[in-house]
Amino acid sequence: MMTDNGDITTASVIAPPRSEVGVIGWLRTNLFSTWYDTTMTVISLVVVVWLMWFGLTWAFGDAEWRVIGTLGGQFIIGQFNTESACPGQNCFWRPQVGLLLATIVLGMAWGVAGGGTAKKVALAVAVVAAVMSLIPYSFERMGMDVRILLVANIPAVFLGLAITRYTPWREVKHVAIVGVASFLLTLFLLRGVEGLPGMHPVSVIHWGGLMLNVLLAVAGIVLSLPIGIGLALGRRSQLPVVKLLCVAFIEIFRGVPLITLLFMSQVLVPLAFPENFPQNSLFRAAVVITLFSSAYMAENIRGGLQALHPGQAEAARALGLSGWQITFLISLPQAIRNVIPAIVGQFIALFKDTSLVYIIGMLDVVEIGRAFIQGNPEYLPSARELFIFLAIVFWIFTYGMSYVSRRVEDHLRVGTR
Amino acid sequence: MTASDETATTEEMIVCRDVHKWFGSFHALKGVSTTITRGEVVVVFGPSGSGKSTFIRTINRLEEHQRGDIIVDGIELSNDVRNIEAIRSEVGMVFQSFNLFPHLTVLDNIMLAPLKVRKWPKDQAEEVAMSLLERVGIPEQAVKFPGELSGGQQQRVAIARALAMQPKIMLFDEPTSALDPEMIKEVLDAMRELAESGMTMIVVTHEMGFAREVSNRMIMFDEGVIVEEGTPHDIFNNPQQERTKLFLSQII
Repeated sequence: MMTDNGDITTASVIAPPRSEVGVIGWLRTNLFSTWYDTTMTVISLVVVVWLMWFGLTWAFGDAEWRVIGTLGGQFIIGQFNTESACPGQNCFWRPQVGLLLATIVLGMAWGVAGGGTAKKVALAVAVVAAVMSLIPYSFERMGMDVRILLVANIPAVFLGLAITRYTPWREVKHVAIVGVASFLLTLFLLRGVEGLPGMHPVSVIHWGGLMLNVLLAVAGIVLSLPIGIGLALGRRSQLPVVKLLCVAFIEIFRGVPLITLLFMSQVLVPLAFPENFPQNSLFRAAVVITLFSSAYMAENIRGGLQALHPGQAEAARALGLSGWQITFLISLPQAIRNVIPAIVGQFIALFKDTSLVYIIGMLDVVEIGRAFIQGNPEYLPSARELFIFLAIVFWIFTYGMSYVSRRVEDHLRVGTR
Repeated sequence: MTASDETATTEEMIVCRDVHKWFGSFHALKGVSTTITRGEVVVVFGPSGSGKSTFIRTINRLEEHQRGDIIVDGIELSNDVRNIEAIRSEVGMVFQSFNLFPHLTVLDNIMLAPLKVRKWPKDQAEEVAMSLLERVGIPEQAVKFPGELSGGQQQRVAIARALAMQPKIMLFDEPTSALDPEMIKEVLDAMRELAESGMTMIVVTHEMGFAREVSNRMIMFDEGVIVEEGTPHDIFNNPQQERTKLFLSQII
């Protein structure tokens, strides 16, 4: 309206200058715009190429990867299937059924989400599991049954998908119910039952490997979020006693190193439960890791709550909503959405921290490798390969979490502010 | 011109008697007394910091008054939570900064209180919400999020959201002050239509055109007291107080 039409047509007809578009334009503006840009580009390029050359020639030439194959299945389940843990029986199928249950849940998540990231994650997990059956040398005592159960992860995903397609179980809450049930069933399977063939009880000190890290991380992630929300709300409470208790909890658990807490857990957690309450080192470690993470989670969520405009709660009050309704319908959904990066950062930290259970004598995936090298000095030169392998394993998991969180953020960003 | 004939039924909707409010040691309201009858449209104006926003916020207890009585539709505002909730569900409020819930769609914003406070079934709430969106002229925005709307559209959604609770009184706290000039009219038009429907309204605003054409009464606030009140005709053409004259000369 302000400009006359002639100007608009002319402006839209003139093509942008060549330097602004295409590959050449991009390179010029981003890599070679000034002489120091050019210098930095060239130096970086040399460094990257040199590092890649060095890395690849080492990885495919000099590196001795045999240690990975030798440890094989121990990375995944630790000492679970050894003769001392499960004498005279093959107990490998029990963690494997746990994995199958997990892929069924992922398949359901895929069905509920209708594809997207959930689909990618579900398929990736199933395919990786299935491909493991093709590895020729790994997994001591790995028979045909083990391979079949691994391949079965692919139909398991589609079974989960089919459940959401052909039964009424197709909502988020159903995935949550099946997920929790699967987790508990997995714990039961791993624990075993006295006197049942194939279900020889396996003490938790023999649970290990990646399985241990994942079990602790899943329990910690699922429980620390609601506990953290409760603590954050408690810390903002008008009731002085509730507030004091929450502040004390948060500051104590945040102020003590996790290693110290893990040591203390062996002595202190038993005091918090009835004498005949069934507990073990794994349970105690899970409690401590969860509470430790909850304290950080509480502060993340409190940060999100502080950032909310006071007008939000005011508008809700003016509409006649009650305090609880305002918290759960207005404040928390916005607060949590605003701090998803911090929450996922805490999840990632928690996953990595599960390695610290080595301090109370549990053999997580890192400790399995370290203890093996220590016990077999002839493998000492392979420590480099071993730890690089472990770093990659952790990175795959943490990158997966960060990828999912970014997609969730993108999804929730629809029309914000 | 519209609601004047309805004021004949002089039913008292809001009675304020000697209302005092302190923020810490700051005396924000220094004994405000006035009565607003059913169907009346009252414009509250005055310099910033004069207590006009605080005054309308005491009516639905967003601010607590420490002395005096406020009686809304026969219910006295006290510390009784049930009274406060009863009054809040009868008094709708529209804010300067809209305060829509950004994580809910326009439709969900409007349906939230009817569903959760009034416990209406979903289809009834949706029906009412859609008819209100049509009333404020933006039914096509129902499934969008507030962040995707212009300021004027957001404020009209806020009006629809307040109306969804079927209030007897509507409070407007500077509803057009945060809007770009070209969007003020669409919001004022919605308010005008509401006034014509017989709604009891208290509007804090500097829109003197709206005050002149729509309101039945104007109240001038300064330093926590009512300086002057009267019909728009009297206030504009024959203000009695020096402060009123001075303020009007500054804003018109």
